[in-house]
Amino acid sequence: MKRYALYLALVVCVPGLLIHNADAARSASGMKEGKVEFKSVGPLAFGPDGILFVADTKAAAIIAIATGDVKSGGGSGAFRVEGVNEKISALLGTAPDQILIEDLAINPLSQNAYLSVSRGRGPDAIPVLVRVKTDGKMDVISTDKVKFSRADLPDPPVDGLIGQGNRQSNPRRESITDLEYFDGRVLVAGLANEEFASTLRAVPFPFQTVENGAQVEIYHGAHGRFETRSPVRTFTQFRIGGQPHLLAAYTCTPLVQFPISQLKPGAKIQGKTIAELGNRNRPLDMIVYEKDGKPWVLMANNSRGVMKIDLGRISQAESITQPVPDGGVKGLAFETIAGWTGVEQLDRFDDKRVAVVRRSESGSLNLEALPLP
Amino acid sequence: MNGKYGKNAKNAKKEAPHSVSVCSVHFRLFRVLALVLAAGLLCQSPSFAVQNPISIRWIVDPAEAARAVAEVSGIDHSALRRLRQGAWSQAKWQQLFAVYTEAEGAPSALPALPMLGAYSIEGNAVRFTPRFPLEPGLSYRAVFNPHLLPGAQRSHIQTVSAVYRRPRPERAATTTVSRIYPSADTLPENLLKFYIHFSAPMSRGRIYDHIRLLDAGGRAIELPFLEIDEELWDGEMTRLTLFIDPGRIKRGVLPLEEIGPSLETGKRYTLVIDRQWRDANGVMLRENFEKNFSVAPPDREPPVPSRWRIHTPPAGTRDPLTVDFAEPMDSALALRVIWVEDESSRRVEGKASLADEERLWMFAPDIDWRGGRYHIAVQTTIEDLAGNNIGKPFEVDLFEGIDRRLKIQTVRLPFEIR
Repeated sequence: MKRYALYLALVVCVPGLLIHNADAARSASGMKEGKVEFKSVGPLAFGPDGILFVADTKAAAIIAIATGDVKSGGGSGAFRVEGVNEKISALLGTAPDQILIEDLAINPLSQNAYLSVSRGRGPDAIPVLVRVKTDGKMDVISTDKVKFSRADLPDPPVDGLIGQGNRQSNPRRESITDLEYFDGRVLVAGLANEEFASTLRAVPFPFQTVENGAQVEIYHGAHGRFETRSPVRTFTQFRIGGQPHLLAAYTCTPLVQFPISQLKPGAKIQGKTIAELGNRNRPLDMIVYEKDGKPWVLMANNSRGVMKIDLGRISQAESITQPVPDGGVKGLAFETIAGWTGVEQLDRFDDKRVAVVRRSESGSLNLEALPLP
Repeated sequence: MNGKYGKNAKNAKKEAPHSVSVCSVHFRLFRVLALVLAAGLLCQSPSFAVQNPISIRWIVDPAEAARAVAEVSGIDHSALRRLRQGAWSQAKWQQLFAVYTEAEGAPSALPALPMLGAYSIEGNAVRFTPRFPLEPGLSYRAVFNPHLLPGAQRSHIQTVSAVYRRPRPERAATTTVSRIYPSADTLPENLLKFYIHFSAPMSRGRIYDHIRLLDAGGRAIELPFLEIDEELWDGEMTRLTLFIDPGRIKRGVLPLEEIGPSLETGKRYTLVIDRQWRDANGVMLRENFEKNFSVAPPDREPPVPSRWRIHTPPAGTRDPLTVDFAEPMDSALALRVIWVEDESSRRVEGKASLADEERLWMFAPDIDWRGGRYHIAVQTTIEDLAGNNIGKPFEVDLFEGIDRRLKIQTVRLPFEIR
C-alpha cells in the first residue's frame, strides 16, 4: 500500500537521472541530522530517494526519515518470512502477542520491507520500525542519528481549555488512518476521537508549516444523497484523464475519487462514488498497478478478501448517487482473488509482485511476495 | 554498574549445551557480596570451574528489573584485548554471545533469533545490555560460545548459558469500566457515539471482539460500530471512543439500505463490555459491564445556544455557573469547547463539569466571582448525542449545497454576575 505513485515511478524512469537527482536534492532539503523521538508509529509511505514517511498518531505528526536505503536489494528471488510477528518479538525481546504490526511499506528502490510495530499493547508501548531485507534478514531502524524532518499537524480548531485551569490534559486525538506521498505532497487521512470529522490534508514536502486552514472535510454520496462523514480508511492515487486523483476507500465499502488538485486549504471537496464493493466490510489497504496493459486497484478487506478492481474504464465511470440495496455491489467491475485469505497489509513489491502480511490459520503472520493477480 | 547481582549460572560439563541453571532470588544492595558468593556456591561446581572458568551472570537491579544485563566473566586477557580491538558487528557478537527470548507455553517451531542489544567490555567481563526492556513472565537465555573467542584454542569448551526469568507479579483483576457516556438511559435513534471510560489504562488490539450490542432478546447486532484499526483512545488509554457506524444510522424517510440501522426507535438494547478485555498489565477486567438503554426518535435538530438557560451565581462566591442545554450533549466536547471569559475576553480559570446526564454544564471558578459582565464561549463544533453541531445538523443533503467546511466559530452567550 501507500505506494508513492506509479506515475512518479514512470517519470523517474523515463527522463532519467536529471529528474531523479533534482528530486533527491529537493527531498533532502530541510532535513537535519539527529534523534527522532516517536510517541507511536502508524501508517507508512515511501517518497522519493528512500525517504520514509511515518505517521506518529500520538504526536499528531508526520516524520520523514532519509533511510539511505537506495540501492537495489536484488530482490528478484522468492520473498517469504514465516511467523514475522514471532521473529520480531524475538528480536525485540517480548512475546509474540505483544507485537502489533501497524503498517507495511516496501521501499521501491531496494524492495526492503518496512514495518511499523508497536511493542506492547498499552499506553507505554514502544514504537519500533523494523526492516526486513529481501533476503529475509531483519533489523530495527535506529533513529538515534538520522536525517529527518517533521511536520506537526495543526492543533484541532481552538482547543479552548487545554492545559488551562484544572484541565491538565487533552484527551482529544486525531488518528491518522492512511498516508501517501504524491508529487511533492504528503497526503494524510485522519479521524478525531471526539468531533466526528474525517479529514484529508495535503502537506507540502519538504515540510514547512502545516497551516490550520489545510484541513478539509470530504463528502461522498454513497448512502443515498446524504453525507456520512465516514472516515477514509485507505487511499491511493491514480491519473484519470491526465489529472491526478485520489481513490479513497471507506468502510462499508464505497470507492470514491477526488481530484488531488482540489485538496487546498479550506476547500470543499465532493467525492464521486465510483464503486460500491459490498457491506459488512472494512477496506484495509490498496495499491494501483498495471498488468496486461491495464490499470488495476488491488484492495485488501477485512471480510471480503482481496479484490482486483478494473480501472480501465474509470474515466467513464458513472457517479453512484442512489442507494445500493441489500448490501449489493455496483460501479467498477471487480473480482475477488481466490485463495488470498487473511491479508492484513499489502504494498507493491516490484513490477510483478505485491508484498502482503497475511494471517495463517494458526494465527501467526507471514510476510511474503505474491504475483500480482 | 550500580546493579545488584541476581543470578549466576553455568552449565556442568556433562550437561547438554544450552542447559539451564537458574537462581531465582533477587538481592538487596547491602547483601550484594554475600549473595554473589552464595550464588556462586549454589550454581557453580568448583571442580567444574577449573575446567571451564567462563561463567555468565545476570545482573539485576530489583528496582529496575526490566533493565537487567548479562555478563560473561572468566575470559582470558588476551581474548578480551582482541575483543576490545575487534569492532565486531552485531551479527558476529551474536554468534559469540546471544540472548534469546523464551515465551511461556509451547516453544516456537521457528529457529530462535537473538534479541537486539549492545555489547561492551566492562573491566574483565563482556556485557550484553538488551535494547528493549525485559518483560515479566518471560525467560531470557544468555548463551556464550567460548570456542568462538578470538584465539580460542580449546574448541571442545562447551557452551555456557544462564537464564533470567523476570517474575510476573500476581495482579488481581481490579480494572473496571468506570463509566459509559452518554449517561442517559434513553438515547436517540441516530446516536453517534459512546465513550467508554476505564478505571486504569487498557490494552490495544482486537478490542472490538470485546464490545457487543445486544437487542432486547439478547441477540448481538451485527457490526454496529465503526471499527477503526487505529482504535480511538485518549493518551492514557483510559477512554475509548466508539462510533456507531454512520452507515448504520437510520436516515430520514429513505428506505433502509444495506443491513439496516443499529438502533431503532422504541426498542431496548444492552451495550456489553466483556471482562475478557485485558488492561495494560495484561489482566482481565474485574467484571462485565452492561449499559441498558431504550431508543427514542432521532434528533435532527442542531443545538441552539440562545435557548440554553444560564443560571448565574452571586458575586463573592465560588458557586457554579450553570448552563442548562435542555438536552444531553456530547460529554467530551462539552467539557472541551465551552469556557468562560470576562468582559475583556480573558479566560476565567476554574473547573467545568457535567451533570444531569450531560444536560447541565457547570463551572466553578478558582477564585470568587466578581461582579461584572462575562460571557460563555461555545465553539460551534459542540455536538449533541446525534452529532448535530451548532447551526449544522449531522445529516446534510448535499444537493442543498450547505457549506460544511470545518470553520471554527465561537458563539458567545453574555451573562452578568451581581
